[in-house]
Amino acid sequence: MSVQTVNTPPTASPIGRRASESMGKLIASLILIVAGVIALTPIVWLLAKTVQNKDDILSCLYFAPISHWTTENYQHLFVKTDFGHVLLNSIFVTDVTVITQLFFASLAGFGLAKYEFKGKKLVMGVMLATMMLPGQVTMAPLYDMLYHMHMVDRFQGLIIPSAVTVFGIFLFRQSILQVPDELLQAARIDGCSEFRIYWDIVMPISRPMIGAFCLMAFMGSWNNFLWPQILMHHDYYFTLPIALNQFNGMYSTAEGSMGILLAGTMLSVLPVMVLFVFLQKEFVAGLTAGAVKG
Amino acid sequence: MSTTLTKPSRPTEPASPGSRPTRAKSSSWFTAQHKLAPYVFVSPFVIMFSIFGIYPIIKSIMLAFYATNGPKSQVYVGFSNFNFMFHHHDFQIAVRNTIIYTLCSVFLQLPCALGLAILLNQKWLKGHSFLRLAFYSPNLMGTVYVGILFQQLFSIHYGLVNRVLASIIPGFSTDFKWLGDPANVMPALVLTSLWLYVGYNMVYFLAGLQAVDKELYEAAEVDGANPWQRFWAVTAPSIKPIATFVLVTSTIGSFQFFDLPYIMLGNGGGPNNAGLTIVMYLYQQGFITGDLGYASAVGWTLAIGVLAISLLQMKLTGSMKGND
Amino acid sequence: MNLFPYGKAAFSMFTLAVLSAGWIFVHPAPEKKATLTYWTFSKDHYDAYQKLIPDFEAQHPGVHVDLEIVNNNALAARLQAAFLSDLDVPDMTELEIGTAGTMFRGPVKDIGFIDLKPRLEQSGLYDRYVQSRFSPYTSRGGIYGLPQDVHPVQLVYNKEIFAKYGIDPDKIQTWDDFIAAGKKVTIPGKQYMIELSDSTTGSGGLETIMLQRGGSYYDPNGKCAIDSDIMVKSMEFYVPLVAGPNKIGGTTGDFYGATWSKSVEDGYIASMICPDWRTLFVQRGPTKMAGKMGIMPLPAAVPGGIRTSTWGGTMLGITKRCKTPDIAWQFAQFLYTDQARLAKNFQNTNILPPLKDAWSNPAFSAPNPYYGGAPLGAMYAKYAPSVPAQYTAPTIDTAKAKLGEALIDCVKYYNDNGDKGFDEFVRAKLKEKADDVRAFQARNPY
Repeated sequence: MSVQTVNTPPTASPIGRRASESMGKLIASLILIVAGVIALTPIVWLLAKTVQNKDDILSCLYFAPISHWTTENYQHLFVKTDFGHVLLNSIFVTDVTVITQLFFASLAGFGLAKYEFKGKKLVMGVMLATMMLPGQVTMAPLYDMLYHMHMVDRFQGLIIPSAVTVFGIFLFRQSILQVPDELLQAARIDGCSEFRIYWDIVMPISRPMIGAFCLMAFMGSWNNFLWPQILMHHDYYFTLPIALNQFNGMYSTAEGSMGILLAGTMLSVLPVMVLFVFLQKEFVAGLTAGAVKG
Repeated sequence: MSTTLTKPSRPTEPASPGSRPTRAKSSSWFTAQHKLAPYVFVSPFVIMFSIFGIYPIIKSIMLAFYATNGPKSQVYVGFSNFNFMFHHHDFQIAVRNTIIYTLCSVFLQLPCALGLAILLNQKWLKGHSFLRLAFYSPNLMGTVYVGILFQQLFSIHYGLVNRVLASIIPGFSTDFKWLGDPANVMPALVLTSLWLYVGYNMVYFLAGLQAVDKELYEAAEVDGANPWQRFWAVTAPSIKPIATFVLVTSTIGSFQFFDLPYIMLGNGGGPNNAGLTIVMYLYQQGFITGDLGYASAVGWTLAIGVLAISLLQMKLTGSMKGND
Repeated sequence: MNLFPYGKAAFSMFTLAVLSAGWIFVHPAPEKKATLTYWTFSKDHYDAYQKLIPDFEAQHPGVHVDLEIVNNNALAARLQAAFLSDLDVPDMTELEIGTAGTMFRGPVKDIGFIDLKPRLEQSGLYDRYVQSRFSPYTSRGGIYGLPQDVHPVQLVYNKEIFAKYGIDPDKIQTWDDFIAAGKKVTIPGKQYMIELSDSTTGSGGLETIMLQRGGSYYDPNGKCAIDSDIMVKSMEFYVPLVAGPNKIGGTTGDFYGATWSKSVEDGYIASMICPDWRTLFVQRGPTKMAGKMGIMPLPAAVPGGIRTSTWGGTMLGITKRCKTPDIAWQFAQFLYTDQARLAKNFQNTNILPPLKDAWSNPAFSAPNPYYGGAPLGAMYAKYAPSVPAQYTAPTIDTAKAKLGEALIDCVKYYNDNGDKGFDEFVRAKLKEKADDVRAFQARNPY
């Protein structure tokens, strides 16, 4: 491989080194395979269990024979519980939240990236400071405030306070900083209004970051548990995580309920996974954008 | 989208109605909206942020000195909230649990994530993106669902974990209690969150590794450094910023640990409160008992603790001033 | 001008948002049309009452009752949250005995329930109840809940296993007799004489045993009594049953469900503590055991002592937000004092009503085929009058939790050290937990 110098380690013989290299590769591959299996096993287990009937679910270790496979769990899920309604609630809350966040964060991120204005440092400084604070600090007063605004146990209470994401703003700011200023200048000379610059130029360029943000925001809202748990009381307003948790507590040991519970869990994690498959590349790029630089 | 300064295809006289108003009129509107634009863009956010972000923070500082009966009534109690908190046995347990969990997280998850990232980064590896997806997919499941799933996996007698372990380890009984035994609750939680978060941290490390300058590696090889020396000389310094980032965010996240233990332990702290964390304590006191003031006090204690530790970490790793 | 510049992912989310918003708009939250909203946490109650409501509505035209089922784990929290935020407060609600006390936090005027004592006395109902059942729902002289049950406890046992080891239930009079028999039956890891848990969650056992012996969380004045002498002795009696070399108690975790059913059918558990409500769970779960299960009274703690205890309980309360408390009261009476209903209720749930004069109804002596034709109701009714009282305080949930912690610590100690120093350990541990509860009680600024 490389030129041998005085500093080469004792295993200098080429055959020895190649052997230890392939040994190393073997071990590394083994580790990766085992780790991969461990990572995927629970998910595959979940999938396998959702198509098993109530006897197999308890007795079979992993897979049941194909002849036993059944869709009864999914059927029961939609027929015996109001999973469909809760699913819709989650779809509604999450999608509205993501779009709202997207709009506010990208607009404000653009404003902070490409403009100078009075108070910019103040705004950024305050936002940065609050990012360091864990969200639990504000839970109690926020609940108190929403109670007085009559937004407790309503969708507005979930959507409106989460419209502001400092994290989102910084993400967009970081990404929009990369857009060359000449582009914007050219557009201005053509008479584009600032908003049109945002809408027609900057946003289309930022689509990868938007994709990443959409996934992150979707995940955050779809899987959010604590705040909806605090805010929502009536099960008409429940989102998937709370409804499944309640179902788990109420029925987990009842006959036939494990299948329903697992089927519900499977359906709840599916949307995020599907979204991820489509947005993989953008997501990884976006996730690490802030971190690698800073 | 061209980058040239002039576009020959655009006439200077208005060719059709509605394309552009006359230069003179448009100019003042144009410059006006150019000046106003940043304020218009940023202000909706600033307004919302002030209402739902800043105001609650300020209010919670105040609330911490009150005891409330839900959002309906409050009584000023001075420092009594903090006084009770630090003497309350349950709070001490919560702090202890949270610290143990954080330490396990940091010293277990991060090395694993780094190790996996290094392995995944090898040039000769095939199936790179499949493996990356495989390792990351646990994190795609929300904490609630992972909690439900692993509660089933860790159940006695019929759970997958026990059955697999019993077949591998001689003498291991399928009656081994994970979530029912206070001593085993934390290990179960640590293992579950290891499964959940390793992929997430690995992705960061991977990105950091891929950004390392290849030439540095080659230079090190030329100098005859073995892989171990190469790691410490080249890799470690290069990924320091991202490692610091992962360390700090991991720590902050671990201190806020709530969803997993809450779900896995049946909406509570588990046997002997072995799974009680600070945020769970806050939730129970504030939203089940109803004392929002006390919850604010706990929240601030958590916040100050987290801030202190993060600053300490950043100082220790010699990171530069936060430059997001 | 771009119609939507954010890309495909965002666009699909936008479309979904619009569509789902439309759907939700068309299906708004159901308006509260009912005259009475009634919360229950038990599916059995829900099913049983659904069948009874049409009769009530027929008798009271214009009245509409809306039954809602709420998860037991969440009901107390939701009710408390509802009381505190004035949102979604039901008119009537059932509440489990373990959490009822938490509603009495704060000054009397803040209690969300109506004081039912005047109505009880006026209607003469007060004397017809088993008196001890009012204790968990009483605070500062007011009675805030109607007890729905007595829940006397007996042992349901596997006749085949008992016969195999020559155990005659009639010969078992005290716990000492039972433990002797238990040593014969118990095969560690495979077969346990009785289902008892070494923790207070799941299948429990400690609370039932301690109540039988006169132990309790609080004294009648609401002072914490966890470290009383009786409690110490109860703990010292209980722990060796579930820990250490001579344990005869085992459990699979929960007191119902698929895992438990299987363990009963497999013979893992030879007997279990069964209040009246649980006999139905036994009928429904381990169905293969039909005809093979017998019922016997609890062994006495001392010769001649009471042969029952109690486990669980539900109260029915009318909230102050109810606009029609008289109709609510009538509904309560309808469900719980009308003879025909009580019989029907018993047939559906196996639960004995707390009204003493109801038990003579022939429906309660009907033979139950699952238990080999035993007259289930009459057997339980025999022990109902001696069910022990349970005193409460607003910190009842803390007290229960602390007792649970104490049990776990005592079990661990006993496993490690056996009898050596056990008495001192138990005393110290219970005092420590009781002091925790007292500190909590002292904190209440209201």
